[in-house]
Amino acid sequence: MSDIQFGYMTRSQHTRDEDMGECFADLIEQVRLLEKLGYSSFAKGNHYSSDPFFEFQQIPLLCRLMAEAPSMRLIAGIVLLSLHKPLEIAEYFATMDVMSGGKVVFGAALGYRNVEYKAFNIQKGTGVVRFEQNLEAIKRLWTEDKVSMKGEYFELDGASVSMPCVQKPHPPIWIGANADVAVDRAARLGDTWYISAHHRKDTLVRQVEFYKRCLDKYKKPFPAEWPLRREVFVAESREKAIELVRPYLGLKYSTYHAWGQSEPMPEGDTLGLEFDDLLENRFIFGTADEVAAEIVDYCNVLGTNHFITSCQWPGMPHSLVMEGIHRFAEDVMPRVRQGL
Amino acid sequence: MDMQFGVMLRGLFDWDDDMTVRFEELMEQARLIDKLGYDCITKGSHFSTYPHQEMTQIPFLCRVMSEAPNVRLNAGIVLMALHNPMEVADYFATMDLMSGGRMIFGCALGYRDVEFKAFGVKKGTGVKRFEENLTAVRRLWTEEKVSMKGSTFELDEARISVPLQQDPHPPIWVGANADKAIQRAARMGDCWYLNPHQKIETLLRQIDVYKAELDRVGKPFPTELPIRREVFCAPTHDEAVELAAPYIKGMYDAYKTWGQDKVMPEEDRDITQEYAELAKDRFIVGDPDEVAAEYIRYNKELGVNHIIMSVQGVGMPQGQVLDTLTLVAEEVMPKVRAA
Repeated sequence: MSDIQFGYMTRSQHTRDEDMGECFADLIEQVRLLEKLGYSSFAKGNHYSSDPFFEFQQIPLLCRLMAEAPSMRLIAGIVLLSLHKPLEIAEYFATMDVMSGGKVVFGAALGYRNVEYKAFNIQKGTGVVRFEQNLEAIKRLWTEDKVSMKGEYFELDGASVSMPCVQKPHPPIWIGANADVAVDRAARLGDTWYISAHHRKDTLVRQVEFYKRCLDKYKKPFPAEWPLRREVFVAESREKAIELVRPYLGLKYSTYHAWGQSEPMPEGDTLGLEFDDLLENRFIFGTADEVAAEIVDYCNVLGTNHFITSCQWPGMPHSLVMEGIHRFAEDVMPRVRQGL
Repeated sequence: MDMQFGVMLRGLFDWDDDMTVRFEELMEQARLIDKLGYDCITKGSHFSTYPHQEMTQIPFLCRVMSEAPNVRLNAGIVLMALHNPMEVADYFATMDLMSGGRMIFGCALGYRDVEFKAFGVKKGTGVKRFEENLTAVRRLWTEEKVSMKGSTFELDEARISVPLQQDPHPPIWVGANADKAIQRAARMGDCWYLNPHQKIETLLRQIDVYKAELDRVGKPFPTELPIRREVFCAPTHDEAVELAAPYIKGMYDAYKTWGQDKVMPEEDRDITQEYAELAKDRFIVGDPDEVAAEYIRYNKELGVNHIIMSVQGVGMPQGQVLDTLTLVAEEVMPKVRAA
């Protein structure tokens, strides 16, 4: 037996012909099932102006869903930190940490979409400095009573959060990163690197070595919690799994590519591929045995101890999402635990 | 519109207080409010509240909506000059959807230096930001795709993340203290959200300012006119004053250190006077008959039809809050409704 944690990520993105009131009711049901089946965490990403999708907003959604999932950790995975002001984010997450009894994880990354950068008045080229200053300010606000700090786009003048966090010294800080330069930053600034679902496995093997060298450079130990997120689906056969999810996952990734997500990808990789080429070495589809074996391999090769499965994509029927949640918990989790 | 009874869950606590316990108490208050038939829960917004602790508005409203499934949820108010319109429009769209169309969007300028600085808002730009942001939020809520260049944002075919539940959008209440701000509320809001600090005679003068501006821009008097007041009710007048006064006074001392008085009309600016002087024509504290009479007076004289009571001053014990909520629901509401 191992002490691996299993989390679940929802995009909560839907096609614009879906009834969002129904989608929300479905989501509540999904979260209650996750809680019942023993998933240990629930993750939600962050986008604004999610055209062509509808999408629930991350912070409001996590706050509402914590009422349905009293034992699950809540992962903001990730907050587009360059867009926001540090006092606002520090306070929101302190309140969320208190309301959830200390179960919030703060994921953060740069973001990449023009429509978002423009809407938040972030000039191209200032994203990194904003990200770094915001993160430093948030850490200080979480750990000091009163903070004075002058950033380029904010000034904390004896500012405080409205309440201290429950988790000490603060909620875990997971940094999302695609390119090597971002992985280096994640090693320097984060409590851990939150690996995305987009990376190819062979790229990850190389980048995890790179991450370790960066940690050495900054004299930081390897993180105690080491999360990995993957797109996963279990069926009677690999072909069947692919057939079931192709319309939804295919739409998700063609939209990623159109949004510009390919640009910050590690050198030599792109999301602008045909679906059958895209899924190779990247997504985990197959029978319960095949999926479990692949996850065990990731754990052995990369050291993963918090595996976050993602099996809800735009347009996917509620019944299929529920099936994915069931199968992963009932058929895959025990096999992975046994295999480790 | 029938009189609506609202409660503001202020929940300001000392810095060394255990907020996980206070949070559970606030949830208990919310469940009671829902059960007793109140119409609305309000939560205000401040950042950097040291030496006090307070739940932040948007996370709190999202969490409380499952405990209080029947009441409307009022963000009263969002500090609109500080925030980005895309974020605000998207958050409230999700909140309106999750709550089944129960949101009220209150907004105002804000006034504290520490907040303006932290959000990178330069002095003197607050009004412009407020107006541009509110215009952008309204457009995002009502148009398919929005292109608009503000001084601190650019919407480039931006689109709201989820459709709104309320048609055309959650009511927009604009909070205002000074006359100029009230005129802005008339121009930009669905209604003016009357503030808790002004004396009733000041409000009587200001309601005319509001009406004149509505006439000037050709807008009708709103169907819903809300006000927030400090309210406390006990079986006898003396008991009510004795129980409430120290906590309300503590609240006003906190407002003073934040600089709230600086944005109030000159005649009302002294908010650190002795309790009795401060309370006169400003707070609604007394036995059920007195409180009911005051509610009716506000309705008759000002035309307000939604009164939002702030109960919990800094450190007020939970039992005292629950008692006054119960007493108002059981003895004041029927009297007001009958009148």
